[in-house]
Amino acid sequence: MATATEWAVELKDVRKTYRTGPIEVPALRGVSLQIAAGEFTAAAGPSGSGKTTLLNIIGGLDRADKGEVWVAGQNLQLLSSGDLALLRLQRIGFVFQTYNLLPVLTALENAEFTLLLQGMPVHQRRERVEKLFSEIGLAGLEDRRPAELSGGQQQRVAVARAMVTEPALILADEPTANLDSASAIALLDVMEHLNQKTGTTFIFSTHDPQVMERAHRLIRLRDGEVTRDDTRSSRETAVTVNGDAA
Amino acid sequence: MRSILLLAKISWRNLWRNPRGTALTALALGLGLALLLISLGLLDGGHEQTIADGVRFGPGHVVIEAKGYQASSSDELLLPAEVVSKTQEFFQTPKLKNIVRGVSPRLLGTGLLSSSANSSGVRITGVIAQNERAVSLIPQRMVEGTYLTESSPASSVVIGADLAHKLEVKIGSRVVLMTQSLLPSSEAKDSSGNSMQSTLLRVSGIFRTGLEAVDANIINLPLPAAQALLGVKDGQVTQVALLLRQEGESPMVAKALRQQLTGEPVEVLTWRESIPMLAQILGLDHAFNYIMNGVVLAMVGLGILNTILMRVLERRYEFGVCKAVGLMPRQLAVMVVGESLALTAISLTLGLVLGLSVEHYFATAGLDLRWIFKAGLPPALVFDPILYSRLSSNRIGWSVGIVFAMATVISFYPALKAARTELPDSLKVL
Repeated sequence: MATATEWAVELKDVRKTYRTGPIEVPALRGVSLQIAAGEFTAAAGPSGSGKTTLLNIIGGLDRADKGEVWVAGQNLQLLSSGDLALLRLQRIGFVFQTYNLLPVLTALENAEFTLLLQGMPVHQRRERVEKLFSEIGLAGLEDRRPAELSGGQQQRVAVARAMVTEPALILADEPTANLDSASAIALLDVMEHLNQKTGTTFIFSTHDPQVMERAHRLIRLRDGEVTRDDTRSSRETAVTVNGDAA
Repeated sequence: MRSILLLAKISWRNLWRNPRGTALTALALGLGLALLLISLGLLDGGHEQTIADGVRFGPGHVVIEAKGYQASSSDELLLPAEVVSKTQEFFQTPKLKNIVRGVSPRLLGTGLLSSSANSSGVRITGVIAQNERAVSLIPQRMVEGTYLTESSPASSVVIGADLAHKLEVKIGSRVVLMTQSLLPSSEAKDSSGNSMQSTLLRVSGIFRTGLEAVDANIINLPLPAAQALLGVKDGQVTQVALLLRQEGESPMVAKALRQQLTGEPVEVLTWRESIPMLAQILGLDHAFNYIMNGVVLAMVGLGILNTILMRVLERRYEFGVCKAVGLMPRQLAVMVVGESLALTAISLTLGLVLGLSVEHYFATAGLDLRWIFKAGLPPALVFDPILYSRLSSNRIGWSVGIVFAMATVISFYPALKAARTELPDSLKVL
């Protein structure tokens, strides 16, 4: 059995319950999984299945009630809030459903935001962001503010912001939820391209079958539990077998 | 450092996300500062004028009297002539010459002034005309005749308008002044054994100050005549009144004089000590004004708190994102405080421009209060009804500092709110 540190992400019997007064809503009920470095993984399931909670806990945005959460060799349950913030800044990139760019900054400034927080000199920042922008089709849009960009462009800027620090892990919570299908496919192309080129681990949540198809590994959740965990090849095999059977 | 610049940039741009809101808030705070500057300018100007008038109708900015005079008001307590000459010599030094506008020795006493129509108790002030002109306001308030001069006959007397009315006298009228010697009765009795004296005087000038106590009681005589009438020998006087160029120099001048006159049986008092009631009234007025300004600032402060807090609450999601990508809580707080400081800087600029412009107008053209007294100035009104603003750079610095400090302190709460943005709740899409 692999030790925790060998995985990009490892969860051991993770449980999380939300409480609102006397009402308790279990969001994760003993989730265990391992994700290797460089995987392109989707967490899929209907609303309330625990996808967002899972990503929040892996990203250190929330803490599990029980269990162990290992990311980049560190047990998040043992880290302070400050250490978690530092881990997010240096090792994890986030892409949110509603883009979440700072409206007062330009596309380029939004993308270099985390690099600035890391204290990188300006010429290095610009070089890195411009290279990434041309790679993901944002060249020429550097000086535009978010309000002047389309949804797909904004989400690509968000991906650039997440990628620019060259993190070990990128977490994307329903990144295509607000995009039309063409923009969603373009965004997935960008993410997959970056995954293959840099080897960065991607975990994204979705309930869009089109997006699920693109995932190399698909973890299905229902009521806070992992119900299936398939690779693309096993899914394709299953389709073939089912097709033959038919 | 780079992250501070980034935060400053974000703060500045955030201000202009809602330009109308920012402009209104800046205007509110700016108006608060402008009001503060204008009211302080008028208050200080009014006080300066009141003090200037008060000391010039009274004992000056600094007064030298015989020890015990302030407490007892006994006219028998007199200053030796050498103290007067010592004081006058002291103020001939180049350093002090520029500080002091006038030095006036005075002999004070009481008497009964009678005309053919009536008589009235009076407060006699024996003065050296030239010196008194530099110190007192009475020479400037002549309504009939002229004030005393060096060449005025010893029988000249200047009286107030109310007294002239009561005695039914005019310029050139003859009046009789009856006095009692200030010296102990054994020394003062004349050959007939009487310490009372009376002399015939001629009214040479009538003044009106607007102060009933002055206009109905005070009479000015040439000093030698007063000394002779009051039986005072060897050039003794009751007090030496000093008028300074700057009221603020009073404590320093008083201290220097005390050192100079060490060993002499005298007391040196600033106007705050010699006219304590005036100092108390001004102190009370200051306190009231501070309270009023405090109320105005508190209201403006609450407005700013509301604006900044609303801005923070509106951007809870944005702060959540910043925190998620690695911004530390303290950096978020710096961002909010920076935004508030930028807003304050704009407001202070606005307030200074507005406040100093109005203040400048009141300092040059004055605030005419005569419209309040259409029926005529009340008799107790000492000062000029046109109020001139006076605002020192200290006051401006102090006011700006207070408003800046208030705005900074107020921004701490919204900053704390931003720093405490909870993850992942703040990231929930509503």
